[in-house]
Order: sequence, then structure tokens, then C-alpha cells
Amino acid sequence: MMFGLALRSLRHRTGAFAAAFCATFLGGTLVMAFASLLDTAVADGVPATSRETLITMAGVVGGWGLIMVAFSVTSTLSLAVRQRTDEIALLKSAGATPAQIRRMIVGEAAALGLAGTLAAIIPALLGGRLLLDLLIDTGQVAPGVQYAFGPFALTTGAAVTFAGSTFAALLTARRTTRMRVTETLLEAGTRSGRTSRKRVVFGLLFLLLGADLAVVTATVMRGEGSDAMQTAGQTSIWVAVGFALLSPVLLRASARLLAVPLAVAGAAGYLARHNLSGRTQQLSGALMPIILFTGIATGTLYMQRVDDAALAAEGLRASVEQDNIKTLNFVVVGMLVLFAAIMLINTLIATTMDRRGEFARQRLTGATPRQVLTVTGLEAAVLTVVGVVFGTVAALCTIVPFTFARTGDPLPDETPAVYAGVVAVAAVLALATSLATTRRALRTPAVEAVAV
Amino acid sequence: MTPHNGEALRLVAVRKEYGTVTALDGVSLSLPTGTFTAVMGPSGSGKSTLLHCAAGLDRPTEGRVFVAGTEMTGDDETALTKFRRRRIGFVFQRFNLMPTLTVLQNVLLPRRLAGMPVDKARAVATLRRVGLGDRLNHRPAELSGGQQQRVAIARALVTEPQVVFADEPTGALDTRSAREVLALLRETVRRDGQTIVMVTHDPVAAAHADSVIFLADGRLAGSMLAPSPEAVAERLAHLGDDLRVGV
Ligand SMILES: Nc1ncnc2c1ncn2[C@@H]1O[C@H](COP(=O)(O)OP(=O)(O)O)[C@@H](O)[C@H]1O
Ligand SMILES: [Mg+2]
Repeated sequence: MMFGLALRSLRHRTGAFAAAFCATFLGGTLVMAFASLLDTAVADGVPATSRETLITMAGVVGGWGLIMVAFSVTSTLSLAVRQRTDEIALLKSAGATPAQIRRMIVGEAAALGLAGTLAAIIPALLGGRLLLDLLIDTGQVAPGVQYAFGPFALTTGAAVTFAGSTFAALLTARRTTRMRVTETLLEAGTRSGRTSRKRVVFGLLFLLLGADLAVVTATVMRGEGSDAMQTAGQTSIWVAVGFALLSPVLLRASARLLAVPLAVAGAAGYLARHNLSGRTQQLSGALMPIILFTGIATGTLYMQRVDDAALAAEGLRASVEQDNIKTLNFVVVGMLVLFAAIMLINTLIATTMDRRGEFARQRLTGATPRQVLTVTGLEAAVLTVVGVVFGTVAALCTIVPFTFARTGDPLPDETPAVYAGVVAVAAVLALATSLATTRRALRTPAVEAVAV
Repeated sequence: MTPHNGEALRLVAVRKEYGTVTALDGVSLSLPTGTFTAVMGPSGSGKSTLLHCAAGLDRPTEGRVFVAGTEMTGDDETALTKFRRRRIGFVFQRFNLMPTLTVLQNVLLPRRLAGMPVDKARAVATLRRVGLGDRLNHRPAELSGGQQQRVAIARALVTEPQVVFADEPTGALDTRSAREVLALLRETVRRDGQTIVMVTHDPVAAAHADSVIFLADGRLAGSMLAPSPEAVAERLAHLGDDLRVGV
């Protein structure tokens, strides 16, 4: 019975679940595309060096992909569940037991994960083939190697997306169902909630790990040449993930700090300030991808530039292995950036559309469409500023130790244009998505939208 | 400026079409300042449409609307919003309070948005009058339905509007809270000379008003002064008959 309810709920809540589906689909595509390199590698007659390259590529990039997938699937799914707090409260007050609700939520996630995995097979096959072509073109894999898509790709893909989304749903569902009916109803009002202690602990743990790696890079890896990348490259990722986990806390603190400049912006600034502190949990969903995007892109791109410059200065030509690493770095950045961008857009669209009722209430209270747009614009601006600040800190955790290990200076002698570009992309994505979605939400007459 | 001689609201031949559906078919009416009017009629008779057109939440297809002698003009939502926010207050079935703001902040919001001076003392006084003087810093989710609706009423009154429109304000409340809310609306009319137009389908609620206007198929189908619940119910039951007789 609960599975039927789950399917019906999926059909009626397409908007809220589109983001979660998108994350599963994209995650499935990436993970399966890279896992298919393993299928390719284990085939008979693949030369040893090619095999090694393929396995490294699949392992390293696939590993990072896995983390990103787990992250985005969890965040989009819990968003989808949280958006339905009122519905869950209603079900509870109508007599549904926590176990029934849990089964409904997990059922939805399982259906979603299955659909995402199936939909991802063809794109993953094409993507994997493209990857192999790229590796052959750049001379990292022998030309004769045949592409294969088999058990590795399928099992990893299914395991990650299906099991990942189900597990994420279980975690979210447990939190939601443990609350009492009245608490759930209350949360439906403000949707602020508290940041779980587990989340804070994990966030701090990731930051510690990043700090440790930074120290190792600056000390142990000093004078080890390009090898310092092995530790430096991960640092910005761990730190960015740590900050991302702490994002509700960071946003709440930043909102308090930014209250003064927001006060200048009149009634819109006033509302933005209250939303930032009252809807932290919801808005921090959009903060996470900005931190990840800025931190990982900036960190990795500058690390690669510093290494290129150092190699050139030493008068060395890059070896095949170094070329491999370079490709890896760009693939990782490209992938993570793509992921973060899609996560950002998804989250912003989902949260903004979810706020149609709130916008309508503002309008009925006397806000002009322009005032409503200013509120969301200011919120997006705050999210961008906070996200870029913490993303930059994460990036510096890669850049400073690596530059120090490689050249002895703390900061690279590189153009700031790359950084400016990354920041500009983050800002444009956040502002454009937010404003365009709000504008769309405003098209519905307020009296109709308020009933949503 | 047109003199309005104590007229709070005037509709002149207001028509509203949704595609091929005619929701309002040439409605004209005039409501004096300081009156409490209930609008009744069968479901789909155009009550909500009438309220939305009169309140500037929607533009009529044809006809004119005057609020306290000033014609409602302007086609885009910004112009309508600016017209509304100084002249009109709303109370809805669902209370439509901002969940992240406290009771007091909710009541002050319309003035903030309109760029009017934020008069905290006044807002507190209004909240005291609706019986919520001790709930200023609570969030809407911490209040009962009846209390939330009283906050919504205080919010509607805080800009000193010329007309307050209420669409089924007791529709989501239990009998007792509904009675309290209706008594409160009536008191603002009696004591402050506030003008209120209320859509309802409940004869008991309508009986709190000074007069009732009946709508059927988007047209006026009569009115009643000093309504009693029984008389209103009786009239509603025969609204179809009247129309048939009238044809
Ligand atoms: N937005 C709309 N689009 C199309 N038709 C509408 C819309 N709003 C109302 N109507 C139609 O107009 C008529 C009057 O509706 P309404 O004013 O809501 O009636 P009431 O409030 O008396 O139940 C109905 O036939 C309804 O279907
Ligand atoms: Mg209606």
C-alpha cells in the first residue's frame, strides 16, 4: 500500500523530485562511464601500461565521482523529503505509523534510483567510449584497445545510485519520522530545523583531514616535484566537502554578520535577512554546491598551472605519467564543476519553486513583483558571497601548500583571471537561476499561487 | 478628486471573463463607509471573482472599480500593488502569514513594504485589541488557527485601509474561533467605522454583517438588510427559484 502511495506521490511531486532524479541520473552516468574503463581494462590483449592507466583513471576519478554522487543524491533527496514536511505531518495526523512513512519515503527513493540507473546506461556507454577515445588520442592508451561495457559498470552503477539513494532516503526518513506530529507541523512552518550533531562532527572531521593533508604537502612533499599533487589535489576537495557539510552553520553565522549591509536594502533586505536566518536549512542546500564548485575548481586549476610553470622552469618535458595526471585533473575538475553547477541549478529551482506560496503571501501583503525579485536576488547574492569566501579558503588549502612545496613561495605567480572566471561563473549561475525561477513563479497570480 | 460622499467601494458594470466562462456578468454596486457586507451565493457564482476584482487582485475584463472615490487604474501588477497597499486590507481563509516572521513583524510588514513609517506602538495596540498582546514575539506556527486569523486581521488593519476584504475568513476555523473572529470584524466596523466586505457560504457568519448581497451565475440576485441565519439560509435555498421567476 505504501509503495503505491509512494508512486502516486512521485507522480504528483515531479518538481520536487526532478532534482533528485537528475542527481541520480547524472551520478549513474558518471560512475558507470568510468567503471566501464575497468571492463575495458580487464579484457584480454590490453597492453600492461594501457591497463594501468585505465585502472588508475577509473579508480581515482570514479572514486571522486562516487563522493560527489553520494553527496548530491543525499542533498537533493533530503530536500525533496523536507519539502514535504507538511504532507508527512498530515499523513501522521491521519494515523500513518512512522514505519509506513519510512517505507513510503524509501520506496520513492528506490523507484527514483532504479529509474535513474536505467536512464543512465546509454549515456554512460557513450560517455565511456568518448573517454577511451580521449585517452587513445592523447597517447595514454594504446590505439588497438576495444571499448567494453560490462559487469563492472553495471554493478557499480546500480550499487552507487540505487543503494546510495535508498540509503540517503533511510537517513532522511529516520530523522523526519522520529519527530512528533506537532514538531513536524511546526517545522512545516519555518523549515529551519537544527543541524544534526553528526553532520557537524563529519564536517569538522573533513576539515581536519584537509588540514592534515595541507601540512603533509607543505612538509613531507616538499621537493618531491609533481608528486606533491597526490596530497595537494585532494586537500581542496576535503576542505570544501567539510565546509559544505557545515553550510547551515556557516550560513546562519554569515547571515548575522550580513544583517547590517542588508538593512540598507529596505523592506526587501529586511525580508532577505529573515529568510536567511529562518530558512537556513533550505537555503544552505544552494550554498553547498557554490563552495564545492569554487573550492575544487580554483584549487585544482591553479595547482595544475603552478606545476606546468615549475616543469617549464626546470626545463623538463612532461612524461606520459604526468600527462595522465594532467588529464585526470582536468577531468576531475570538469566533472565536479558540471556536477556542482547542476546541483546548484537544481537546488535553486527546487527551493525557489517551493516558495511560490511564500512569494504569493508577500505579494498579498503588499510586495511589488520587483520587491519579491529583490529579496531572492539579495539571498542569491549572499549565498554567492558566502560560498565564494569558503570555497576560496578551501582552494587556498590546495594552492598554498602546493606552491610552497613546489617553488618555496606561499602564493603562485599566476594570473588571477582564472579565479575571476570561476567566481563569475558561480555568481552568474546563482543569480540568473534564482531570478529567472522567481520571475517564473511570479507569473502565477498571487491569489492562485497562495493556495500551492 | 471625485467626491465620494462616504462611499467606500463602487463597482460599475464589472465583467470578468475567463476564456469562454463569464464569471461576473455586469455587476454594479455601492457600499457606504463603515458597513459590514457579506457576499453569498452558490459555489461558482462568482463570489471570489467579485472580491478579487474589487480588491485589485485581478483586473476586470470590463467595468470600473472605485475605492473611496479613487478609480483603480494601471494594468501591471506593480501599479495594482501600489494602489492596493495603501487602500485595501485582506483576510483570507488560509491566514497567509509569513512563517519566518514573528507576530509583531508580520503585522508591521505591510507598512514596511509600502515604505510607510513603521509604527510599532500602533501595531502593538492593534494586536492588543485583537487579544494577542501577549503573543507579540511568537511565530505563526506557535499559534492556533483562530489566533493566526486574528493576527491576519491586525495585519489587514495596520495600514488603515479604506476597505478590508475577507474571503471565507472563518472557513478553516472551529465554531468557537469562528465566532470570535466574526465578533472582532464586527467590532472594527462598529468602533472604528472600518468598511468590510466578506465572502462566506455560512449563513451564521453572514448574519454578523449589516447586509448580505446574493450572487448567482455572476449576477446580483438581491440583497438583505439586518440578516438572520434563518432568513439567509431560506433565501439561499430559493436563489435558483428567484432567478427562474425573474427570467
Ligand atoms: N482563474 C480562473 N480560470 C478560469 N475560470 C475561473 C477562474 N476563476 C474562476 N473561474 C470560474 O469562474 C466562475 C466563478 O468562480 P468563483 O468566483 O471562484 O466562484 P465562487 O467563489 O462563488 O465559488 C466559476 O465558473 C469558475 O469556474
Ligand atoms: Mg470562492
